[in-house]
Amino acid sequence: MSAFRILSAFWRLNVAEELQYRANFVASVLGTVFYMATALLTLSLFFRHTSQLGGWDYWEIVVLLGVFNTLTGVIEAVLRPGIGSLVGDVRSGELDLVLVKPVDAQGFVSFRRLDVWRFSDIVLGLGLAGYALVRLHRVPTISQLAAFALTLAAAAVVVYAIWVLLMCLAFWFVSVENIAVLFDSVFEGARYPVSAYPGALRLLFVYLIPIAWTTTVPASALTGRLRPALALVAALVAALVFAFARFAWRVALRRYAGASG
Amino acid sequence: MANTPLVAAERLSKTFQVKVRDIGIGGAIRALVRPRYRQVRAVRDVTFGIDPGEIVAFLGPNGAGKTTTLKMLAGLLYPTSGRVHVAGFDPWTGGPAFKRRIALVLGNRQQLVWDLPPEETYQLNRAIYDLTDADYRERLEELVALLGLADVRDKPVRQLSLGERMKCELVASLLHRPPLLFLDEPTLGLDLTAQEAIRGFLSEYRDRHGATILLTSHYMQDVTALASRVLMINRGRLLYDGALEVLVARIARTKRIELVLAGGDGVTREGLSAFGEVKSFHFPNAVLEVRREDAPATSARLLAALPVADLSIEDPPIEEVIRQAFAQGGEEDDS
Amino acid sequence: MSWVRRYRALIRNAWLVDLQYRASIVLWLLWGVTEPAIALGIWWAIAGSGTVSGYARADFARYFFAVMLVNQLTIAWDSWYLDRWIREGDLNFRLARPLHPVHEAVADNVAYKARTASVILVVWLVAAALWPAVRLQATPGRLALTMIAVLLAAAMRFFISFTTGLLAFWTTRATAIMELHAGLSLFLAGRIAPLALLPPAVASVAGVLWFRSMLAFPVDLLTGTVHGADAVLRGFASQIVWLGVWIVACRVAWTRGIRKYGAVGG
Repeated sequence: MSAFRILSAFWRLNVAEELQYRANFVASVLGTVFYMATALLTLSLFFRHTSQLGGWDYWEIVVLLGVFNTLTGVIEAVLRPGIGSLVGDVRSGELDLVLVKPVDAQGFVSFRRLDVWRFSDIVLGLGLAGYALVRLHRVPTISQLAAFALTLAAAAVVVYAIWVLLMCLAFWFVSVENIAVLFDSVFEGARYPVSAYPGALRLLFVYLIPIAWTTTVPASALTGRLRPALALVAALVAALVFAFARFAWRVALRRYAGASG
Repeated sequence: MANTPLVAAERLSKTFQVKVRDIGIGGAIRALVRPRYRQVRAVRDVTFGIDPGEIVAFLGPNGAGKTTTLKMLAGLLYPTSGRVHVAGFDPWTGGPAFKRRIALVLGNRQQLVWDLPPEETYQLNRAIYDLTDADYRERLEELVALLGLADVRDKPVRQLSLGERMKCELVASLLHRPPLLFLDEPTLGLDLTAQEAIRGFLSEYRDRHGATILLTSHYMQDVTALASRVLMINRGRLLYDGALEVLVARIARTKRIELVLAGGDGVTREGLSAFGEVKSFHFPNAVLEVRREDAPATSARLLAALPVADLSIEDPPIEEVIRQAFAQGGEEDDS
Repeated sequence: MSWVRRYRALIRNAWLVDLQYRASIVLWLLWGVTEPAIALGIWWAIAGSGTVSGYARADFARYFFAVMLVNQLTIAWDSWYLDRWIREGDLNFRLARPLHPVHEAVADNVAYKARTASVILVVWLVAAALWPAVRLQATPGRLALTMIAVLLAAAMRFFISFTTGLLAFWTTRATAIMELHAGLSLFLAGRIAPLALLPPAVASVAGVLWFRSMLAFPVDLLTGTVHGADAVLRGFASQIVWLGVWIVACRVAWTRGIRKYGAVGG
């Protein structure tokens, strides 16, 4: 696995560099706690005026918020620093330096940079989901936990694939450096279960851009709303989306080679 | 008025407080509660005066205090002690009236709007400096002609080469025709042709408008070609103030004799070393270094003893002289 | 006269730069649309066929459309710009010219807001044509008052943002402080819900501090939920007082910050 060796060398560099700025760790954790508090307060505000949202009660949605935060951690720690800087790399020509390396370019571009402190988001997110389960007096069974792990991984893959697809657009529209905003604004919708959205919004979040599923499905697995066997469907969907992203990447690279050659 | 210098610095000093960073999380928290500072004396007791029309270069290694001095003269920093007087103003409190009389060009930063053609920045500066249409047009034409910029008017700045960008930066900075120019590394990163063009422009501009120019540069060619006078600064102290040639004569205790031999019979490195230190020997070329005062006599002996096709006596490369100067100047003090 | 020329040149440049980034600006706009859209969706579901503290579905729709418009008209990004100017040294040439950098920031805001507001207005007109719930029944008088309130709110948010950006003279986390403020304003300025739906204690904090003046007051004026001349006057008084406070804060931060900058450099 030479690709992995090269990546781990990059990560070591990355971690060593970040350890210089330990104050960033405190700032990052404080930031996450603040955002989690904001989300919980928002939820409490809604629940001042209702007892359920889309059929979910308060602590069930807190489980979902925990999943949301976990995925945010994956995005901030891995996707935004890595694949998210692709637009800039295309513009600055740094992508050429990646393409001449004897490794898989997509994997390398995706994982060469990490924002190590943001991994704390994943820990805090899982912690929040766990705490909410305690408040629900619900102990997940082994098969539910397995389904949760599988659907969470599938969700991470889907989110990754969407990032790759968005960034591939950058090969056509280089002027859109902040294209990640497109993802951010739609991902906001994943804070609540898909069943909470009415009419047009449900059409948007649930069917048109199915990002909301990435939190609803793992949270459902954890709270027992989802039959564990359905987790396999999630894995299948993730595999399909991933394959499509891989295909899009190939097409984009061919275009890049043609354009710059 | 006649013998008042345009720029006067009197016992100018600047001390920075630098936060001391401790290692580890404990250290970081301690630093938050009770930060510790270290005093860094960036400029110490510097005194000089510059007359109108002079081109003066600051020389010194990175962190010597050149840019700090320049920023104090331009009013971006105020002195810890000492006095500055620039064009009749205290730069720090001079306000708009002072700022209209200076131009500040930083080689590593730019005022040109990145995404627009340079002309848009010129128009903006026309409004900021209240230039009349006639003045604006006349000066723009002059500057563009002097710098040979006619063909880059409508390209966005990001598409310009580094050299074109610096030229446009100069146009934007000189539209209000300031009598005083502060240039920090104006040729940084430029290729030789562009460096030369900028140098040619600056000296032409000075001749036409009697501007006074203070610059810092890493490139000795900038200094040798432009500056009638150098201020050598190291570790915040002024080590030398005067003409470059005088400095070279004082520091450089050697000369170089460059030889081209006509025939090869029996000339060896060892044979040459009898005349002086052999810097290089690749037949038929040889470079010898000898003591300054011995140079004429040694040349005569070489001409007599060897089949010499060509011989010249040169000063050692200026970079080396400066290195020596700083090595000597740096020994004397510390803390 | 020279100030007219200066502002014309500054606004023109800001406008031209924006034009280069119109695709990016559309993306930021989208960001400004999704937040109120999601909030509206949730409140829509909660309200059902009834009302929440007097708000029926149509009231929520009007409220969040107004939030979308007023927020874009009053939002200020200056803390990010200032933070960058200060940290990366782009402040230097701005200080070396005979024009206070605040004018460039004001001009940027005028250009940005003119562009985004026109887009949002079009969006609203289209939405209103299709969806009667978001149509406004506003009298010319109320519209005029709203415009004044929006102007005051925009000025205040500009000075808040500029002042916070100036904190970069002292700390590397000026933008984090701005985000903290944005987080608070989510509730206190009325971005996530009308203030009437907050716990009364929180709502009164929002009214005593500057948060209501930032957004909720002009929004309520526009949607017609400020009743009585008395309430309107109190709202404007609060806006003017807090605008004054932030102008003073900005001046103090600028004077001290520049002094610090002059002492220690970039």
